[in-house]
Amino acid sequence: MSFEAIPGFVELKEGHGETTVVVEREQILDACLYARDELGFRFLADLVATDYLGWDAHTVSGYIGTPAGRDLNHPMTQGFQAVPQPKPKRFSVSYHLLALQHGAPRVRLQCWLDDGDPVQSVVSVWPTADWHEREQFDLMGIEFTGHPNLTRILLEDDWDGHPLRKDYPIGGEPVRFSDAE
Amino acid sequence: MVKRLRDYGLQSERLLWPTKGPSRFEEELGVEELEQALGLTTLDKAVRWAQTKSMWPDTFGLACCAIEMMSIVGARYDLARFGMEAFRSSPRQADLLIVSGRVSHKMAAPLRQIYDQMLEPKWVIAMGACASSGGMFNNYAILQGVDRIVPVDIYIPFCPPRPEALMEGIIRLHEAHQAGVPGAYERREVAT
Amino acid sequence: MTIAPERTRAWPLVGEPPYEGSRIPARVPTILDVPPALRETDDILQVNFGPNHPSTHGVLRLIVDLDGERVVGISAVIGYLHTGFEKNMEQKTWWKAITYPSRVDYVSYQNNELVFVLAIEKLLELEVPEKATWMRMLLCELNRLHSHLVFLGTAALELGAISMFWYCFRERETILDLVEQVCGQRMHTRYFQAGGLAEDIPSGFFPECHAFVDWMPHALDDYLTLLDRNQIWLKRTKGVGLLSAEDAIALGQSGPVLRGSGVDWDLRRDSPYLAYDQVDFRVPVYTGCDVYDRYRVRMDEMAESTKIVRQCLDKLERMEGQPWIADDRKVVLPPREELHTSMESLIHHFKIVTEGYRVPEGEVYVAIESPRGESGVYVVSDGGPKPWRVHFRAPSFAALGATATCVQDVLIADLIAIVGSLDAVMGDTDR
Repeated sequence: MSFEAIPGFVELKEGHGETTVVVEREQILDACLYARDELGFRFLADLVATDYLGWDAHTVSGYIGTPAGRDLNHPMTQGFQAVPQPKPKRFSVSYHLLALQHGAPRVRLQCWLDDGDPVQSVVSVWPTADWHEREQFDLMGIEFTGHPNLTRILLEDDWDGHPLRKDYPIGGEPVRFSDAE
Repeated sequence: MVKRLRDYGLQSERLLWPTKGPSRFEEELGVEELEQALGLTTLDKAVRWAQTKSMWPDTFGLACCAIEMMSIVGARYDLARFGMEAFRSSPRQADLLIVSGRVSHKMAAPLRQIYDQMLEPKWVIAMGACASSGGMFNNYAILQGVDRIVPVDIYIPFCPPRPEALMEGIIRLHEAHQAGVPGAYERREVAT
Repeated sequence: MTIAPERTRAWPLVGEPPYEGSRIPARVPTILDVPPALRETDDILQVNFGPNHPSTHGVLRLIVDLDGERVVGISAVIGYLHTGFEKNMEQKTWWKAITYPSRVDYVSYQNNELVFVLAIEKLLELEVPEKATWMRMLLCELNRLHSHLVFLGTAALELGAISMFWYCFRERETILDLVEQVCGQRMHTRYFQAGGLAEDIPSGFFPECHAFVDWMPHALDDYLTLLDRNQIWLKRTKGVGLLSAEDAIALGQSGPVLRGSGVDWDLRRDSPYLAYDQVDFRVPVYTGCDVYDRYRVRMDEMAESTKIVRQCLDKLERMEGQPWIADDRKVVLPPREELHTSMESLIHHFKIVTEGYRVPEGEVYVAIESPRGESGVYVVSDGGPKPWRVHFRAPSFAALGATATCVQDVLIADLIAIVGSLDAVMGDTDR
């Protein structure tokens, strides 16, 4: 199965037994069509958007703590043991595909975008993407061009903001004796 | 020493009309046994007894607690022995609203509408941690406790409560009502 | 603003069905539009099957357009149980986050827990001992039985076969007793840990489970006797809610809905996880594409699950005394006896409980065959003690998207049967 011939191919990553193919955002529709027709991935399992705002803010912990300091009352402020790999842009949209064949081959098509960049909708390729794209629009604010009905699905229609973004607060009410959670 | 009717403060026709003999009913029972054959109660107590023994819940199952609510209708934890197996779908016919599950802000409006459509007397049981206080979901989406929008009589903790815990809550509600404790909808300090 | 690329090939346009012969609505795949001819007349009645309804499983809202008794338009509104799981799990450490997935699909709770724990173990590259694998398989198959029993009881209840509810819940109580014996709680057992199980299997469990497994085929015979040759049941479920195999794949259906449409696909057999490649079971597939066949798939799956449980029991009884959790002390709590003697164990225990273990950076997608279909989780880790992003692939979310395709040319009473046969749990749909 050669993924290099996918339109808009950028790079191929392997990890934990999974294959991730990064494609250009502008050619995601072509890439999905190629994956469905030429490579046989007829089943769209999942469509996920991830927000990487704050990914570069991680610092490595020294013996004493991070440069920002260490708060003994909050055990998880020690910093990390290794700085994670930097990400190209703020959002990634991942398409988890499955081919209903022997061996159950799976692939993840991924494209990267900044805040406000639109992505072509793949409803014409896999009709199940209809609700998945509405959910990612609702919770993450990713705009899918060409979607026939891009409205909020899980939250109320007049909700302000996109909750799953990293700059949206968790909400709820303050609880005594547990400030962080 | 048998208490006579006049000891209860009741006037029978025998007292008002001293020369009248026993009525047909008394003759059949035996004049001495009249007081022993009667059950005496007040109207309030009788009405509350009837309300308690047939308090019909509304089908308001939201999430995981609804599955445990369904299991009290099952054969092991039989709710029919309390006269409550008739879960009414229409809130107009229901007495008890068991809010079983997490209430999101989107669902809060229908919940209040269902509560308003119920006729008095009505009671609300907040079943489970999510209905009582928002549970483990202290976030933007979940109403932190259903008592913010409806007045609640009984809170049942745990996630999800065992069917026995739910029945304990229901029985305490019955006992409270039978004893005369007014329902939450009558108390002014809660959201009505 | 980007420039749209030149069309290098003709691709299907939104507004056209994805292929010839598809019954998926053309404009929006999940909304059935009233045909323009009927829209002119005054005969269409729009009814709201509101979120509080006895027959929609949980808080599903359907806006149905009716021409007499025929359904000519439908659109589903979901989100009444949106809980914000994904955002909440980002705030908790990996250990505490395991409590959340059970509540997503609250009928097959252990399958959801399993998928998240498998994802953590995949990122950690942790070896799970054999005993834990087989016990997880046993509990997941019991959970599958539980889920199908709830489906059968409620689906029959909605169609009027009310006594099925009590029969199914009788077996369900036995299963919950078994689960309570092992895990300590009836539902939302937080028994799976990253690395294995939280506790060892108690000693009285095996005889009770054997007794249940010997009784279950008789119970299944009871259900088949009550329903399978019942003329009313057959009339109400046969030929209703048709969904062709191509449409099912295009709409992302999986599990019993896909197998009831003739597609032979089961992740337990085709992409085995846990120890499913070492047990012998059959995958039922029916080609009728209607509500009756989905019901038959689930009934047959119950029989197969009983077989799998029996095989797991035979294997587990020979594993007495083996470890039930991995040995990696950076992730797994040390045994309590060691805390009195070993300083390292004490320190590890303290760090794991307060700070949480660190999961290396990476992203994984793990999918299992839950009773509703392919249930998956996409986890992104930044190398820290908390997950960066968790997303659940909910089979019920995809199943409800197929409502518009299944309810073409049906009566309103059949709508109830169809929504019941898709077996959507609203916690799974809305997350």
